[in-house]
Amino acid sequence: MVAEQSQSSTATAASSQSQLSHDFEQYLAKLTQGTPLSESEVQHLCNKARETLTLEANVQPVSAPVTVCGDIHGQWHDLMELYRIGGSAPDTNYLFMGDYVDRGYYSVETVSLLVCLKVRYPERVHILRGNHESRQITQVYGFYDECVRKYGSANVWKIFTDLFDYFPLTAVVENQIFCLHGGLSPSIDSLDHIRQLDRVQEVPHEGPMCDLLWSDPDDRTGWGISPRGAGFTFGQDVSEQFNQRNGLTLVARAHQLVMEGYNWSHDKNVVTIFSAPNYCYRCGNQAAIMEVDDNDKSKPTFLQFDPAPRRGEPHVNRRTPDYFL
Amino acid sequence: MTSSLLHPLELLLAVEENVVREKAASSAISIGEKMDDDDYQLEFVGMISRLATKEWFTARISACVLIPGAFPRMSSSSSSSSSSSGIVYNDGIGGMRMAHIAHFANLCRDDAPMVRRIASRNLGPLLETVVETIGPSCLDTGGVVSTTLLDLYEYLAGGDQPDSVRLHIAQNCVHLGQAMTRVKGSLDGAGEEGLVLPGREGENTLTRINVIVRRVLPLIVATIDDRSWRVRWTAASKFALVAHAFSKLDGSMDELVPAYEKLLQDPEAEVRTAATYNFSEVAKTGAMVYPPGWTGGVLGGDGGRVGYSDARRIPVALRLVQRVAQLTEDDSENVRAALAMVATDLAQVLGRDATLTHLLPPMLLLLRDSTSEVRLNIISSLSLLNDVIGTELLTQSLLPAILDLADDGKWRIRLSVIERIPLLAKQLGKEFFTDRLLTLCVGWLGDDISSIREAAAKNLKDIAALLGSEWSVQNLLPRVKQVMEHQSYLRRMNAVRALSLMATVMDTHTAQWEILPMLLEMHCDPVPNVRFNVAKGLGMIGPMLQTSYEGQILPILTLMMEDPDRDVRYFATQANDTLRAFFDKLNKN
Repeated sequence: MVAEQSQSSTATAASSQSQLSHDFEQYLAKLTQGTPLSESEVQHLCNKARETLTLEANVQPVSAPVTVCGDIHGQWHDLMELYRIGGSAPDTNYLFMGDYVDRGYYSVETVSLLVCLKVRYPERVHILRGNHESRQITQVYGFYDECVRKYGSANVWKIFTDLFDYFPLTAVVENQIFCLHGGLSPSIDSLDHIRQLDRVQEVPHEGPMCDLLWSDPDDRTGWGISPRGAGFTFGQDVSEQFNQRNGLTLVARAHQLVMEGYNWSHDKNVVTIFSAPNYCYRCGNQAAIMEVDDNDKSKPTFLQFDPAPRRGEPHVNRRTPDYFL
Repeated sequence: MTSSLLHPLELLLAVEENVVREKAASSAISIGEKMDDDDYQLEFVGMISRLATKEWFTARISACVLIPGAFPRMSSSSSSSSSSSGIVYNDGIGGMRMAHIAHFANLCRDDAPMVRRIASRNLGPLLETVVETIGPSCLDTGGVVSTTLLDLYEYLAGGDQPDSVRLHIAQNCVHLGQAMTRVKGSLDGAGEEGLVLPGREGENTLTRINVIVRRVLPLIVATIDDRSWRVRWTAASKFALVAHAFSKLDGSMDELVPAYEKLLQDPEAEVRTAATYNFSEVAKTGAMVYPPGWTGGVLGGDGGRVGYSDARRIPVALRLVQRVAQLTEDDSENVRAALAMVATDLAQVLGRDATLTHLLPPMLLLLRDSTSEVRLNIISSLSLLNDVIGTELLTQSLLPAILDLADDGKWRIRLSVIERIPLLAKQLGKEFFTDRLLTLCVGWLGDDISSIREAAAKNLKDIAALLGSEWSVQNLLPRVKQVMEHQSYLRRMNAVRALSLMATVMDTHTAQWEILPMLLEMHCDPVPNVRFNVAKGLGMIGPMLQTSYEGQILPILTLMMEDPDRDVRYFATQANDTLRAFFDKLNKN
């Protein structure tokens, strides 16, 4: 926001600012058509994005109204469908809770679009870091390969994964709804604790920063060992205590596939939101987004949606047997 | 120089990886284009010959890909050839061309099924090139088409081939049909221009085309009964192409249409779906066929031409439309969805009467189908029916069905309904509209789904344009005002959008005294998104309200240019710049 004191700045700075807006609007026009940026454009975009994201906090304050979204995973067509459901930016405010890349076939287009929206409308769009926004994970689950396939080298992958280090870890909407990708951590009691972390680094294998991006809520009380091999599972007692201690009403998180697109747990202390319909093009799940209104923040609205129809393709929807998932 | 580039490519054309060979082939072709004829014969054609006879099958696959494209530039004089195949064609084809037809024939009979598969895929293109290059003489009884290429068609369609080879029969037949249609067209054209009948030579060629077509049709018809569903599926999805390729070749459709009807009843739902997608394209070929159940005979021999102008024939569309009713009852929702997508297209070909009797009743059934996708597809394609049977009739029969769908659970269906509203309003008139549809239209402004809200705003603009400013002030504005007080910013913002859009079609007085004040009032909404949409709206309607600019619009925009939110400042500045530029230009003129 420091960069935004443009009224006092010189005329040249103002005109270069409008030149930048113009550049990014052109990028947005391209990206909403599904055309990837060139390598130099990605570089230009990410340089600017780093400037913007550096200024954000580990617990980024976000004001209502805002629409909160979960995993996208490179499903660009379904992100376009999400805009058709929730409205397009900047008219609708958005908070995305990570996992933009991997699995789907359009990670490059997806993450470029979201970063570009963030840069062009920093007050309207917020993006958090997911466990897939990491050098290690993207080498296994598709983003690395997609970059090499689409750009002929790993440069774009390098530029983006370097930028991911700057993404905020969590956000809090109107001091009430705590939003993050994974879940809580046994080494974190308060939001202040998160504020003290040095987040600009690769996602570590363990420790508080890792837990925030990897943990899952569970039916068992207390802390448990996560079957994922990173993060923990946490019970209702943990969520209740955390919300109470920090004056929060709700933890909103993503990270897990839920068939209805959203799922309440821990007696409405935690909600899981997943925004990639028919995940991996075969899970048959619905997606959802959560609208937090300006007047009634305690009663969010959930909108569910299905995959965007792919025009002309006859979709033969035979349910995939469970053992393939 | 160029030839030295071919050498590494020749090695790459023989490697294991498909993608590498494909790239190498396209590189080789573009190098070939730059070579002069002598080099081409020596280096390029020489390379193909070597590839075609290489030990390892991957090289031979590349030869299959390269031969069709290279054929026209190959030499045809026997002097430069060392052909040992022993075949002599009476159409004067010889030299490298003859040698490579022989190579290709060997590749079609290759031991490796992978080679036969690629050869099969390239057989049709080769045939088309050969006919194009050599002209009608290759269709002679002793010509290359009859003696060699058709044999290959039959060989590769044989039941002992793997299905991946048989898969290409349909497409290959399309190539053949196109080639024959073109030859036939060139004869007709010559006849008309020269004002002489095609003559003896032309008659002969027509007879030969007939013989060739008679030989190929059974191959297509056989794919319909193929034991592999993939083969049937490929035939089904290409059937429109097949029909178009053969529709001008006398009598062909009498054999193809029954085959197509059989595909529509295939045991596999995928095959029926693919066939159904082609429904209207097959019908649109415009050919004449015998009605179903007609057992007289043009079948067999070359009698096709004789019966072609038979008065008992009917247009294909009229025969096929009788299948529609049955398809609406298909077990598979995908078949019904495909039908709903294409069937209304038939109306144009059928004309009003046949549409009313045969097409409209099954379409009404589809509107009430249990699957939403079917309903959606039919609603989105209804306008094609409009043009033929007239809106009035359509409105009467469809209005109840459409109203049923107005609050359908699927948003795309609601969207399609909204898109039909202006047309309905025009038909129904003010009173009926106010009675039956007004509440519905305003209700959509507050829909949960953003696309519906936006469509609703645009719809109100169309309605306002249609029913006039006075009616809108009375009926629309009070209801929009309620939405402006909604607790959700997304609804309030949409009311702002609707107001701005409506103002652009109102008379100036209404825009200035009724709408502008409502819009300006929203500039102090607590949510920035609403405020910057007010700015956008002012930019949109400002040009028609010059007299209010200085007094009303500018002060508010100036206020917004100092807004704490950067996006409000941005959009306010932009709106003001646009308006200033507009008025400056206006005042200059």
